[in-house]
Amino acid sequence: MHVLLVDDEKKFALALKQGLEEEGYSVEVVFSGEAALRALEHGVPDLVLLDIMLPRRSGLSILHELRRDGMHVPVLLLTALHTVEDRVHGLDAGADDYLVKPFAFPELLARIRALLRRPSVVPQSLLEYADLYLDRSSHSATRNGIALDLTSREFDLLEYLMVNHERVVSREMLARDVWQETSRYTSLDNVIDVQIARLRRKIDDAFESKLLRTVRGVGFVLRED
Amino acid sequence: MAWPQIKKLRWRLTLWYGSTFAIVLLVHIGLATFLHYRQLLQQFNHAEIQELKTAEGLLYQTADGQVRIRDDYFNHPQLRLSLDRLLQVMRPDGAILYQNHRLHGTPLGGAPLAREGVNSYRHTMVRLSDGRIVIMVSHVHVMNGMPVLIRLGYDMEPLYASVARFIFWLLLLAPFSILVTGYAVYRATSGALRPLSLMTQRARQINAEKLNQRLPVIDAEDDLGQLSIEFNQLLARLDDAFTQLKRFTSDASHELRTPLASLRSIGEVGLQTKKTGQEYRDIVASMLEEVSRLTSLVDSLLVIARSDSGMIHPEKSVVSYLAMMQEVQELVGILAEEKQQSIEIAGDASLRICVDRGLLRQVLINVLENAIKYSPAGTRIRIDLQRLPEDVVELCVHDQGPGIPEEEKTRIFDRFRRIDDGRSRERGGAGLGLSIAKWATEINGGTIGVRDEPEQGSCFYVAFPEVITAKNV
Repeated sequence: MHVLLVDDEKKFALALKQGLEEEGYSVEVVFSGEAALRALEHGVPDLVLLDIMLPRRSGLSILHELRRDGMHVPVLLLTALHTVEDRVHGLDAGADDYLVKPFAFPELLARIRALLRRPSVVPQSLLEYADLYLDRSSHSATRNGIALDLTSREFDLLEYLMVNHERVVSREMLARDVWQETSRYTSLDNVIDVQIARLRRKIDDAFESKLLRTVRGVGFVLRED
Repeated sequence: MAWPQIKKLRWRLTLWYGSTFAIVLLVHIGLATFLHYRQLLQQFNHAEIQELKTAEGLLYQTADGQVRIRDDYFNHPQLRLSLDRLLQVMRPDGAILYQNHRLHGTPLGGAPLAREGVNSYRHTMVRLSDGRIVIMVSHVHVMNGMPVLIRLGYDMEPLYASVARFIFWLLLLAPFSILVTGYAVYRATSGALRPLSLMTQRARQINAEKLNQRLPVIDAEDDLGQLSIEFNQLLARLDDAFTQLKRFTSDASHELRTPLASLRSIGEVGLQTKKTGQEYRDIVASMLEEVSRLTSLVDSLLVIARSDSGMIHPEKSVVSYLAMMQEVQELVGILAEEKQQSIEIAGDASLRICVDRGLLRQVLINVLENAIKYSPAGTRIRIDLQRLPEDVVELCVHDQGPGIPEEEKTRIFDRFRRIDDGRSRERGGAGLGLSIAKWATEINGGTIGVRDEPEQGSCFYVAFPEVITAKNV
């Protein structure tokens, strides 16, 4: 998978490049809009990560030009502009997704996966990871054959972690996808931490091998040893 | 530059008043002269008719048919101005029967006109052949059965001279009057504008650093005094805003500095000695925790900045207050459960308010989280919703916490305000939650505050005007 990253913030861009390469993507980094257009002439990547506030030419004008030339490559905007109008603006200009800086790296990975996965597959009704089973249709979960008594929020949380198993999910991702909290300034971190602690009690406490881990400073992950 | 501007204003006013006065004065002089002329002319005409009647009685015919006048009686003119009366008697066919000596043989007017002076006194202006302009009255008189036309005239010269003298004196005085008026206006304007120059001087000294200065109020009753007062109030508001902004900026940078300092120390200490991979992981994780603190702080600051600049417009809709509270309880109630606190909600679900859902949620989350945070474990948080008089719906969150000292009751809604700083920072938050709640309440037309509970703890109330819908009337 080839990713073109356009950002004039060199330190940030190179860090992202390294992170993405560790995840198995091949990444080309350019630091200006003009360089991005030149790179696009050489070959269309599978995905473009585009900063909006670039020197001289804004990311939005690059995006316009790209879409005008009939390029349908998925574009994920990365920007510090975070009002609703900014989002609408970006998506109207032809972006496929929009991520506000500073973001959690796992979230960027999740978004990239989502963009590259489209068109998406039908969700399975039965999820399985290690000795955890989750049945979406009957709303039930078991571990090692023992039924887990989960509240509906805990069920959603476990489902999300299982779908993203072995991938770190950030608190922001959980707030948005599990709690459906859209407002960025409603911090649910406390609530999420408590909820995770409870879920852990239910799925891990009684078992020898622990699955739900906290990645300090980043988020949570469902992973076997 | 302000000074020349003001001088210009004075001169402009003076010039304006002066020229208006001059025009009025000239019109006045013109009108007065005309009336004076008219009046003199009327006096002339009247006197002429009187004298003509007298002359009629004094005319006689000598034996040889000559017409004469007894001029012994004629020496007392009625009108001092017109000593120079001219008299001519003619036959209707134009033959001159008599002329007085003042005519010096010049005929007074031309040939008689048809019906000139018949049964009337006819006034005309004529120019004699020697150049004199004469106002003349004609009348037909029957003498011994014979009609004769008597013409009597006055030289206009004295009248013109009188009018000329009149206008001369008036015009001579006019420039003087105009100058006096102009000077008076200039002095008066200067006097009236003097406070303005003082204000200008003072205003020049006021800048962002010296907003505590005020303009002088010389007379609170007059327009400029009012202007000064208004201006001073404006300055006071600016001063407040500046002070608040300064405090906010310094508080904000202080709050930003704290996680930055941690970040730096953790990083520097981490690099001091060689460590294991796990130790480095811990260091990086700890730095990331500080980063997320910084991020949420910056997000809050952005909300505040955007609210201050009026960029957030509430999208209001009618909602059930109780339902909103229950929604929030479901969201953050888990925090209370962790502390074995119980939350009880009571109230009428049909009480509706018109607010921005997202903002109200924010307010309720902040208030409830606050109550959970500051209440001891195992206590009870009671939430009740009631209708107050005057169609206000008030939600009260009663906690059994330590309570809030009287002097802190309004200040806890200030930005970066926390009671007992160190301890509450440990519990998270930069002291912006309640100030954001206050802003979000007020922009939705509500009020927020805190009261003491009768026994222990405090009660945060959030009240909005009730929306009366057809359903619950």
